Amino acid sequence: MGALSIRNVKKSFGNTHILKGIDLEIEKGQFLILVGPSGCGKSTLLNMIAGLDDITSGEIAIGDRVVNKLSPKDRDIAMVFQSYALYPNMTVRKNIAFGLDIRKVPKPEQEEIIARVAKTLQIEHLLDRKPMQLSGGQRQRVAMGRALARNPTLFLFDEPLSNLDAKLRVEMRSEIKLLHQRLGTTIVYVTHDQIEAMTLGDRIAVMKDGEVRQFGSPQQIYDAPADLYVAGFIGSPSMNFIPVQLREEDGHAVVELDNGRAVQKVRLSPISDSQRAFVGKQVVLGIRPEQLTDPESAHSEHGNLQTLQATVAITEPTGPDTLVTVTFNGIKTVARCHPRAAGAPGQQVELTLDPTKALLFDPTSEKRLA
Amino acid sequence: MTASRQGAPGFSLSRLADVILPKLVLAPTVLACLVGFYVFIGWTAWLSFTESRLLPRYEWAGFVQYVELFGNERWWGAMQNLGIFGGLFILVSLALGLLMAVLLDQKIRFEGAIRTLYLYPMALSFIVTGTAWKWILNPGLGLEKMAHDWGFTGVTFDWIINPDFAIYTVVIAGVWQSSGFVMALFLAGLRGVDDSIIKAAQMDGASLPTIYTRIIIPSLRPVFLSAFMILAHIAVKSFDLVMALTGGGPGFATDLPSIFMYQHGFTRGQLGLGAASAMMMLFTACAVVMPLLYSELRRERRG
Repeated sequence: MGALSIRNVKKSFGNTHILKGIDLEIEKGQFLILVGPSGCGKSTLLNMIAGLDDITSGEIAIGDRVVNKLSPKDRDIAMVFQSYALYPNMTVRKNIAFGLDIRKVPKPEQEEIIARVAKTLQIEHLLDRKPMQLSGGQRQRVAMGRALARNPTLFLFDEPLSNLDAKLRVEMRSEIKLLHQRLGTTIVYVTHDQIEAMTLGDRIAVMKDGEVRQFGSPQQIYDAPADLYVAGFIGSPSMNFIPVQLREEDGHAVVELDNGRAVQKVRLSPISDSQRAFVGKQVVLGIRPEQLTDPESAHSEHGNLQTLQATVAITEPTGPDTLVTVTFNGIKTVARCHPRAAGAPGQQVELTLDPTKALLFDPTSEKRLA
Repeated sequence: MTASRQGAPGFSLSRLADVILPKLVLAPTVLACLVGFYVFIGWTAWLSFTESRLLPRYEWAGFVQYVELFGNERWWGAMQNLGIFGGLFILVSLALGLLMAVLLDQKIRFEGAIRTLYLYPMALSFIVTGTAWKWILNPGLGLEKMAHDWGFTGVTFDWIINPDFAIYTVVIAGVWQSSGFVMALFLAGLRGVDDSIIKAAQMDGASLPTIYTRIIIPSLRPVFLSAFMILAHIAVKSFDLVMALTGGGPGFATDLPSIFMYQHGFTRGQLGLGAASAMMMLFTACAVVMPLLYSELRRERRG
């Protein structure tokens, strides 16, 4: 029995189906991320867990209690909102105490809880201020403090960092992670930012159009994306997708990459059964930019790196690396190179490809060929 | 640099226009305000220190008019009426307006139509409101007659001709006209409240009435202030409504300072006394509004 179980949950408004049967389950203490583009249904799902939206069909259980019919206050959850949703007429202290007050927690105990929460989040000096007098980051802390004060079994975060500037977002991100590690709480966290998803989550559910496209650990989702959508959504810069024709040679999958001057043969991993069905057909080769790099930076556990020649179209220095855009089979392909080995536009560069990391996708169903 | 500037007349002309044009455009308004408000306030103040009767006279007479005003029983009756009318009018309009706004905010059907309906009285002039309510409240013509015609012959509703109750009919008509507008103000304020605040309070376990009384209504403080200001000035300057509804009667039962001022100044040939009463009305309005404005401005500056 998990800390949160979502079983075949659907949400429809008449003929519009927002969620088309979601199944997710997490254990106590896990950090679940719901990630996807806007309109994918992730916030709706979170609101349904919170009890702010009705469930059309299916079942949501927190602990071993089915909460479908329970009102938000009886679900033993707390939520942090994107706009923080602090009560504007109350001081920080009263904001944190409000939920305790409603639940008739005795005053001395309230004081204790406020002191503890304020210490955890380092907002002791802000307790007597009004939300209007706080900065974005401080409001964020208070909103988390309000959630922490109630000590619920489940925390819900609805895009809590998207109103902060970039620097503060990174800071608060690691603070949320630290808080989770320290308190061991179970968290459901909604975001549209794949970096937040990767850095924070134990388990990630990548959603699109009301469906969970893939549910797994961050590394699983990064290394073995279920389909083209997940592969392109997770990772920055995005994975390169190059149309190729699949062939088989000595039990290995082989594809050809045309750099505009010459066609180069690339020998990939041993071919699998599902891949063998596509021999002689068009497939999509997926390579992450960091798996296509200069020979100096390249490393592989297997040692069978493939070398490719390409012409540089654009270079984009990011500091530690330079993103080099080249063309394979007419598709702009990004490689992540050491700044020294990046070359200049028009120059010929040598790139290496890690064949064990290269993925193949079915172009029609968009599923990965495992 | 300067030489080239002088050498280009078009350039300096456009600069001149930049400086003068805004002032030129604003001048009529500023002038109208200056003359319309401050010159006439000054003139009235000056008249209140003279013994002007039918026509203005400009010899200084000190505080005679004020002494006479403060000894005038009718003036104090009018001030008392203003207190009753103003207090009740503001209080009931605020309460009713807030109630209607909260009820309208519950995502009900036909909200647009109902909102417009509530606002319509505001479109009428006070003269029309007063006349209509004069008929409605007339015992031989309006509500009482209707009740009698329906067979409820025991019903008496003669406030408008009862000197002890006539002032409350002015409150009824005033509230009828203004509460819809107050509702619109509050509704706008309620719509400005972030939805997730309500959600957060729900998750904190608060019931809907608690959410309204402890979070939403307290956060409408600025709206209360604006509504109060608007209603207060309507109450103080109230003249046409009473003139149409009761004409200040029966007797002086619904006399207000504005009627007192008008009658002394323009129909009874007591211009000096009328001016003195006008000045007292100005001070009354200032006494109510100034502290509120001051405290609110200070709050804003603090934070």
